[in-house]
Amino acid sequence: MNTPYAWLWLPVAAFTAPAYATTYLTVEQAQQLMFPGQALTAMPLRLDDAQRLTVERTSGLAVPHLDFALWRVGSGGYFFVDAVLGKHELITYALGVNPDGTIKDVEILDYRESYGGEIRNASWRQQFVHKSVADPLKLDQDIRNISGATLSSRHVTEGVRRLMAIHATLPR
Amino acid sequence: MTRNRRVIVPSLLIALGLFLQSSLSQAVTLEELAQRLDALEAENAVLRQKVARLESGPHVAPAEPVTAVAAAPVLSTASSPASSPAATAGGGEASTYVSSYGEIGYTRPSKRPSVSNVDVQRAVIGLTHRFDENTKMVGEWEWEHAVTSSTDTGESEVEQLYVEHSFRGGWTADAGLYLLPAGLINQHHEPTAYYGVYRPDVDTKIIPSTWREVGLGISRTTDSGLTFEGGLTTAPNLSQWDPTTDEGRLRGPLAAIHGEGQFAAAHDLAGHLSVNWRVPGALVGASVFASKVGQDQPGFLGNDSRLLLWEVHGRYQPGRWDLAAEYARGTLSDTEALNEFYLHGTTPNPTLVPALFYGGYAQAAYRVWSNDYFKITPFARYEILNAAAGYGSLAGAPARTGDEHIWTLGTSLYVGDGVVFKADYRGYRNDRYPSAVPLGYTKGDSLNLGVGYSF
Repeated sequence: MNTPYAWLWLPVAAFTAPAYATTYLTVEQAQQLMFPGQALTAMPLRLDDAQRLTVERTSGLAVPHLDFALWRVGSGGYFFVDAVLGKHELITYALGVNPDGTIKDVEILDYRESYGGEIRNASWRQQFVHKSVADPLKLDQDIRNISGATLSSRHVTEGVRRLMAIHATLPR
Repeated sequence: MTRNRRVIVPSLLIALGLFLQSSLSQAVTLEELAQRLDALEAENAVLRQKVARLESGPHVAPAEPVTAVAAAPVLSTASSPASSPAATAGGGEASTYVSSYGEIGYTRPSKRPSVSNVDVQRAVIGLTHRFDENTKMVGEWEWEHAVTSSTDTGESEVEQLYVEHSFRGGWTADAGLYLLPAGLINQHHEPTAYYGVYRPDVDTKIIPSTWREVGLGISRTTDSGLTFEGGLTTAPNLSQWDPTTDEGRLRGPLAAIHGEGQFAAAHDLAGHLSVNWRVPGALVGASVFASKVGQDQPGFLGNDSRLLLWEVHGRYQPGRWDLAAEYARGTLSDTEALNEFYLHGTTPNPTLVPALFYGGYAQAAYRVWSNDYFKITPFARYEILNAAAGYGSLAGAPARTGDEHIWTLGTSLYVGDGVVFKADYRGYRNDRYPSAVPLGYTKGDSLNLGVGYSF
């Protein structure tokens, strides 16, 4: 602090603290968007080996970790929060599942890549709505990509497919 | 006394800040408190899983071959490693990522097969370091044509080097050497992102991909899919124009005069603006780049010259089709005195600075076959371009060069997300531009084979 007016920065510093600009929705905000007014009960999920194999068979994707952030919705249905790599950076997303096993919505919570933030758009996420584990949930098949964000589109699509396969193992 | 005041004043400010903060927080309602508790509970659930995961040892297993019952081959986890749910607990941690892309091509010019050659066109290493959730740096270092030395033709260059800060409300600011938003290729130029062993001629000779300038840019993507990018950067330097070589005509005028951050002339500023609208399976966009390019060089006859480059582009991907089109048009004003000087100088047949250059293409690709891992996509592209379409009102100027018409027919075989094998044949109707043979300017048609990767 050799400069006589360095202290002028102190009030500025007080205003630049925590909120992350790459966070578009918090977990709670996504829950309220998808299930407004509903009580959600956290029920962390750990897959056992048999479930893991079932999920891998159903989704055609490897399951790289066994713990998943999961909430049970009061009126039935489930809410997942998961993260996948876009190109290099993690994309955190939420998946809401209706009591009948169809997708209620997908929301992007954090997006950090320099390009491809358009996967946050409603028009892209809308493609998932009402689909179920019986649908392909594959890029270039029933999910179209965003030009310039192919990897982000593909990896979120795969993430949703994996979560839907996990959902299929849960009690309704 | 002064010293004491320096301590007392900030202390008072801090105390005031703390007081205000505590009074504000007392104004929180019970309802808000309940919401905060809910939020904390949710966060806690995520953290509990993180702890459970850590305590139970590493679970991120290598990609096990899954015995699929009905499905086709399984994608490796390397392409989409779902991370732990702990990632949702917020970031703030520093992290560093390595990226890379590269391409190797074989070219056989039909009319001069003796100069057939294989070239490591580019090898690029990228480094992204995220300092925290809001700020990161991005760097890319590139070698072209494999070997760089005083006796070799290769180039070694910094392709990108910028810091990026994200602000609330979806705003992002970049400072440094960054890629300009111009056309379909410039910002997405990895070999897996375009068809053909070589980039379209319009995206090299009219828009000098990979085109970067040093400056300050801002961007914002709206919820409706619109992305705006704008900025102030360094400008090309017309005083670099060399009338004694045909580089300005064969590689394109901007490729001959852009600065690339190498002691780039910085007297004149450039401005750029672009808008892109992306919805699933479709993209339309446009951009404009404008600047003075004389750079106020002492005695230089082109000091009043201005560059205006604009382009429009679109891409539509219905079903198995991938259709794209682009048109770019540039003008360089007030070049008559400079060209007059070249015409009457000592160089016979000097390469003059064009007043107008333009080009456009239409491209169609069709995914004929694919499974979960491989994809075969033949394509056809038709380009019309002219890198010297006029010399303004210059007296005694050479006749306007006619347009070149270029056909490219080929196919790409994609392996997973990151690898592509390519084969194509490129035909130049008027032989005005060279095929991409680094050993001098070999004009004309060529058969090309390539392999590229990107991660």
